[in-house]
Amino acid sequence: MAMLSEKDQKQIEEIFGTLKRKVVLRVYVQKLECDTCSDTEQILGELAQLSDLLEVEMYNPQVDAEQAEADGVEMVPAIVVSDGTQSRARFYGTPSGYEFSSLLTAIVDMGMERPPIEESTAEFLEGLEEDLDIKVFVTPSCPYCPRAAVLGLRLAMASPRVTAQVVEANEYPDLSRKYSVQGVPRTVINGRLYAEGALPEGQFVSALAAGLSREGEADIVALAREG
Amino acid sequence: MPEFKMGLVDGPSTDEPGRVWDLVVAGGGPAGMSAAIYAARYSLETLVLEGMEPGGQLSLTARIENYPGVPETSGADLASAMRKQVLDSGSTLRSEVVRSVEDKGGKGLVVYTDSAEYAARCLMIATGAAPRRLGVPGEERLHGRGVSYCATCDAPFFRDAHVMVVGGGDSAVKEAMHLADFADRVTLIHRRDELRAEPILARRIQSREGVEILWSTTLEEILGDDSVEGVILSRDGDRQRMDLDGVFLYVGRSPATAPFRGLVELADDGTVLTRGNVLTSHPGVVAAGDVTDNPLRQIVTAVGDGARAATAVYEKLKG
Repeated sequence: MAMLSEKDQKQIEEIFGTLKRKVVLRVYVQKLECDTCSDTEQILGELAQLSDLLEVEMYNPQVDAEQAEADGVEMVPAIVVSDGTQSRARFYGTPSGYEFSSLLTAIVDMGMERPPIEESTAEFLEGLEEDLDIKVFVTPSCPYCPRAAVLGLRLAMASPRVTAQVVEANEYPDLSRKYSVQGVPRTVINGRLYAEGALPEGQFVSALAAGLSREGEADIVALAREG
Repeated sequence: MPEFKMGLVDGPSTDEPGRVWDLVVAGGGPAGMSAAIYAARYSLETLVLEGMEPGGQLSLTARIENYPGVPETSGADLASAMRKQVLDSGSTLRSEVVRSVEDKGGKGLVVYTDSAEYAARCLMIATGAAPRRLGVPGEERLHGRGVSYCATCDAPFFRDAHVMVVGGGDSAVKEAMHLADFADRVTLIHRRDELRAEPILARRIQSREGVEILWSTTLEEILGDDSVEGVILSRDGDRQRMDLDGVFLYVGRSPATAPFRGLVELADDGTVLTRGNVLTSHPGVVAAGDVTDNPLRQIVTAVGDGARAATAVYEKLKG
């Protein structure tokens, strides 16, 4: 049985109508030790039918180890959102619930000529002096999460210095524990800067810049509040 | 089978120069969405600035049973259905947060967000309310590390755990029930000896397995280094430690009126003072939903006042 209703399919076809260029999703799944891989495989298979500009490639990280390494994929299920070349924007976990709207947005963003970011954000990325590893922990039932997830992914699409990983916290309890995730969305940057909740882009980026300029751990939300 | 939520997060955008909206709605909860649907039917050019929380507090409510015609649904589903209806109606939605509003005298209003400004003939304040902080030691430090204001978002992190819910109103009781689906043990504490929640909810929680209620008890402190390890409770002046894993706070809500201070008159509790349910002290500015001084804070009252507010704007602009 199809996971997407006919109505959903129609709506997604309309959304994908805005794609200006090819989008390639590299999906990593395996049969063993992965409860959610078959759901992920099915929903991505259904999505692939909804636009000529969307290609979905299936990989098994055991078999396609080289490709997995190139994509930096360490867990399954994983979805790398790309234009067919290298990409540093990826999802870990089944894209269900609100995560599905994050995935749809990521596809639309990748299908634009340039990812949609504010000018001040582009300037910040231009001036970056270190690489950023952004992890955004989310759950499918969290309506605030897509805002935080999409912002992280847009930064990764816009700058070769940024990697963004959106992690479904329930599916990776060990990783969530490692990064003290007990609430979502929780964004962790380079293991030392963190934010609880979603912030508007401008506020997030200027607080992030402030956090990068000092040493040690820092709470991005507190920095944003200080202005 | 998993569920899939449609929708997109929009990117930055600006109006073409000279564009003036008939109505800008600040807030994307039930009041704002209802107004947007009505305004579109009145052919008003309407922009909803829905902020970072599409659907507002509605999206965070696990279960809704008192919205006529929809016997039982989740807040998230009802919010998505409303949002879709807004988009289909022709009104525009943007995920920006209103920061301030300026009255240009005879030239209408300018609404400023983080990234843009919008010219508007009329404004509707429907920014709702945010969970109130209790202000006890440990609350701020452990937020996101066991302290939460959103059971819908964070309940799955407390599978088989012991969590506390603080509060005695509808939200506290409903979310305690939602948490009981995940946690092993839920302790609800309330400072009075009777729940303020609807009687049907109060009855249900008192017979719910896995939930205990501590009456006339207050939370004094939340303990833990990296995550919540326990709390200090007080009852009749007796302080007592209880070990647990999470604390969910439902101790009322603060109206989100900061951007409108100076523009409209506010009541002592920070809500927008209204006449006729939706008119504010400022001509051309209406308000509806939890942000106002209307005492009943329900989805039905929010959508009702949203419709009223849109109609008031229509009458005004029609002249």
